[in-house]
Amino acid sequence: MGQLVVNGLALGSIYALVALGLLLIFNTVQIVNFAQGQLLMLGAFIGISGAVTHELPMALAWASTMLAMALIGIVFMVLVYFPLRGRPPFLVILTTIAMGIVLENIALIVWGPLPVSLPSPVRGPPLRFAGVVISMHQLFIFCTLAVILLLQYLMLTRTRFGILMQATAQDLHTARLVGIPVNRTIAVAFAFGAILSGIAGLLVAPIFLAEPTMGGSLGLKGFVVSVIGGFGNLPGAVIGGLFLGLIETFGARYISSNFRDAYAFIVMIAVLVAWPRGLFGEKSSEKV
Amino acid sequence: MTVKHWFPLALGAVVALLIPAVTHDNYVIQLLNIAILNAIVVLGLNFATGWVGQINFGQAAFYGLGAYTTGIATKAGLPWITTPFLSVVIVMGASLVLGLPTLRLRTYYLAMTTIGFGEIVRLIIVHWEPVTGGTSGLRAIPGINVFGIGPQGQIQHYYLLIVVLGLAASIAARIRQSSLGRAMIATKDSEIAAEQSGVDTTRTKLIAFTIGAVYAGLAGCLYASSIRFISPDSFSGTQAILLMTMLIVGGMGSIPGCIIGAVGLTILPEALRFLGQWYLVLYGLGVIAVIVLAPGGLASLASRLPRWAGAR
Repeated sequence: MGQLVVNGLALGSIYALVALGLLLIFNTVQIVNFAQGQLLMLGAFIGISGAVTHELPMALAWASTMLAMALIGIVFMVLVYFPLRGRPPFLVILTTIAMGIVLENIALIVWGPLPVSLPSPVRGPPLRFAGVVISMHQLFIFCTLAVILLLQYLMLTRTRFGILMQATAQDLHTARLVGIPVNRTIAVAFAFGAILSGIAGLLVAPIFLAEPTMGGSLGLKGFVVSVIGGFGNLPGAVIGGLFLGLIETFGARYISSNFRDAYAFIVMIAVLVAWPRGLFGEKSSEKV
Repeated sequence: MTVKHWFPLALGAVVALLIPAVTHDNYVIQLLNIAILNAIVVLGLNFATGWVGQINFGQAAFYGLGAYTTGIATKAGLPWITTPFLSVVIVMGASLVLGLPTLRLRTYYLAMTTIGFGEIVRLIIVHWEPVTGGTSGLRAIPGINVFGIGPQGQIQHYYLLIVVLGLAASIAARIRQSSLGRAMIATKDSEIAAEQSGVDTTRTKLIAFTIGAVYAGLAGCLYASSIRFISPDSFSGTQAILLMTMLIVGGMGSIPGCIIGAVGLTILPEALRFLGQWYLVLYGLGVIAVIVLAPGGLASLASRLPRWAGAR
């Protein structure tokens, strides 16, 4: 029982990280990136290329992955978001999905279809108390989530950049009129969003193996979390992620593991029927 | 109707009817049959997505529900003639269950709930093995049979499906011209303005969604009994995205566009098989290019042609 809670929370932390990446982009340009899962997959594979293929030290592999993800995030923005600025969100959903297909197949060409494993950056014997085993990697996942959550909170509320992001989100044209470097702000948001999903990929790969098709379902879980927590809501994303991780772990154990992936959607549909804007509400509303 | 309107229509019909005279390759005809079935499903998708502007990734699931209802019913010994009705009943039920609570949701939420619905349907098909055959699917499904009469061979099926597609397209065109069709367009343009003008937007969305599901259900019924083999892969989330891109590439809101998009994107992967994995890379980039450069899809490019010709 206690073990299920720990496993569920570790899984949930990864979902929360995917959702935090989505949130950064959503909070700046009000767009939901349906290729976030594929960015995560790229992060995992770039990490593997660095740490396994080229045998870089783990810290260097992580750093180079994050750098690569920042660049990928900016390229992604230029290809998928810029040409469609001001067009219906519906079309942006489709371009991000199409970009996800492109990334997934490029990964298949570059890295092949076989699953690969990435070692964890932390080593050591697992902690045990009261019959519950917590591996060092799980502990590392919890710490990473906590640090990122804190940094993101401080960045959004306490820094100049956070304010620029809010202004851009509220009204792009007015923000530009008052001299805010709108394009640069958006580029940074996409870069950070991609970095967060890259970190999620680096954290997932040691637990499940990395394969080019892993992004689809993890990306969808990130949206389910965003929906449960309310798009753009920081505490909502974390609580929603942990909640979903627990639901899946307990559902797989006590109901049926065949329908593991269905629980997320069932919970999401139930939440939306009851609260059409998510459990914790949405940060912004539709403009007329 | 002027020459400009009926000429492409007549040309399309003649080409469609002549194809079996050119090729007797069963593989080609079977591929065309699947293309026609996909075109019917995309015409259905066009109601909710092209005309009302509601994103819908559940269409493949409705296609699958129709196909599996038919496959299971005929294999259990029910006469074929009951299956279109059964498929419609099941699909309408499912579309109301999904549509009633979710159609008032905004874009992203609706996209997610329809993806979720499709995934749940797929998981049920995959894991309810004794009835659905699981991942290996259902084989040797009895063919179309109306009191002892039924099409034999691929070519007869081809002509039957062409007739059904023609009916589906003309019904869609009639609905577009009706007050319901105008209500759909009004809802797409501005929900608030439509409500102000007395359009019940929730009801309009639900009707469009259900009509679309019925199209998919009937196409699924014909799929099961003309291809005679079904498996979960044909109705997965990937298929739902493919159906959506057929609509976008062909041209949202345009009936010829739906048909061009569906037929084109069903045949293209077979024609470009030598590209291997690169096909999907190019396909994704192509979809982005169409959305960015030609938001009205290929149909809008075709309608621009006469204007260019006239300007010269």
